[in-house]
Amino acid sequence: MLHELPLVIFTIAAQMSAGSFIVLGLIHLLGAKVPQETMDRVTDPALYAVGPLLVLGMAASTLHLGSPLRAANSLLHLGGSWLSAEIFAGSAFAGLGAVFAFLQWKKLGPHVLRQVLAVLTAAVGAFLVFAISQVYSLRTVPAWATYFTPVRFFITALLLGGLAVGAALVIAAQRREAKGVETPEAAALVGRSVRGIALGGLFGLGAKYIGQPAYIGYLGTHPEQAARESLDLLVNTYGVYSAAQNILTFAGIAALFFMLYRMADGNAGKRLMPTAAIVAFVLVLAGEVIGRMLFYASMVRIGV
Amino acid sequence: MAKQLAFYFDQTKCTGCKACVIACKDKHDLPVGVRWRRVAEYSGGLWLVDERTGTMTQDVFSYYTSYSCNHCDDPICVEACPSTAMRKGENGIVKVEPEICIGCKYCAMACPYSAPQFNEAKGVMTKCDFCSDRLAAGQTPACVAACPSRALDFGEVAELRAKYGAMASIEPLPAASVTKPNLVISPHHRAQVSGTGTGRIGNPKEI
Ligand code: SF4
Ligand code: SF4
Repeated sequence: MLHELPLVIFTIAAQMSAGSFIVLGLIHLLGAKVPQETMDRVTDPALYAVGPLLVLGMAASTLHLGSPLRAANSLLHLGGSWLSAEIFAGSAFAGLGAVFAFLQWKKLGPHVLRQVLAVLTAAVGAFLVFAISQVYSLRTVPAWATYFTPVRFFITALLLGGLAVGAALVIAAQRREAKGVETPEAAALVGRSVRGIALGGLFGLGAKYIGQPAYIGYLGTHPEQAARESLDLLVNTYGVYSAAQNILTFAGIAALFFMLYRMADGNAGKRLMPTAAIVAFVLVLAGEVIGRMLFYASMVRIGV
Repeated sequence: MAKQLAFYFDQTKCTGCKACVIACKDKHDLPVGVRWRRVAEYSGGLWLVDERTGTMTQDVFSYYTSYSCNHCDDPICVEACPSTAMRKGENGIVKVEPEICIGCKYCAMACPYSAPQFNEAKGVMTKCDFCSDRLAAGQTPACVAACPSRALDFGEVAELRAKYGAMASIEPLPAASVTKPNLVISPHHRAQVSGTGTGRIGNPKEI
């Protein structure tokens, strides 16, 4: 199951950081009426968590190169190779994200400029997720060359990005509370954001589960022998991992329901929130990592 | 000078001796595990039941396919390669530029003929270059020269197709529509068309 481990780390980290940026953008967008100072105070801590994640992923991705010192050559086939596009988008996303985080941290430049930059970064992040999906949509690999690949990668991005942001928001809020500097507006914003993320997460996990039979059907009815070999790997050879992934999906759903239930409960449930948010994130992350390992392990190419 | 070189393989003559594989390894000094040319054994069959006499007769088949890079017209390796190290050049030969290749192995992942073969010691991808140096010296590729059954040949693709037909979609090879290989095969009398195979590869560790 340890096929292409550096690529498992890279694709998960890249998708999680792109997803985080998109979710943060959504929080800003939907909370346009919230005073800017409150918004920044709540969301900035999450922003700083995104950068190191992507850098980690990019570093991991160079680990599988035979000649890593020439890694920059990977940009030479832009416009022709999706792998070049992926690496370009990854670098651009990391660069833009770093500039944005720095400006936001120092509160440099007009607010509008920073917002434009944030939208741009989120758009590049979305393109990055798409580019990664196209890298694997090779016409010689039936298990990958399907619209399931981009759909699945976007679900991963939003699920992991959302839950990571959710956990960061809750932890930062708890710190402010401990210091006695939390304002009611900030607490309300955190509450609304986390509720939205939890609902979105339930939707994502549900989609992931429901998508499975469709994907299995696709593999089972594909004319290429390679597709059926992939299916056999997924359900038989690595069936235990497929089952573990489903269990984690349900555990994630349970954790998110627990969070929503506690939040509806008013103040009493608040104490449990950081733990619940972290548990939900870790469960879903584990499920996604196993899912990505299965993705690589089930690769069967047509031909010889 | 040819416009597009191609290999010709006469499946009716191949005995599966693998002299081509060894000649290639020797010529290019390939390390253990790296094979620019490979020979797949494809076999299958079943029992034919004669209800009248209550007897069963075996109907097994087996045939060999020697294949390397096919210097395709629609080379998925070139399309995939992020560094442009993989390129189609003179005589339509697809080569790796070792100074540019970053060793990402994406071409090897994509090619349905397993033609790109990674050289661990060099850290770069390597593959059949049609023995360009031998061609320049007026010689035939090492594999063609070595075949004791005269099952391998090479030449201008248009001429080969005019002479032998345009068949390249033979199991266990992928359908020719995938990468448009410059390969011409005279099929074995039991050869199965790609996608309709009932047999399996008998020597998976050798290819
Ligand atoms: S056989 Fe494979 S490596 Fe050779 S040109 Fe075709 S796709 Fe490329
Ligand atoms: S291994 Fe080399 S030749 Fe193959 S795709 Fe990567 S850079 Fe290109």
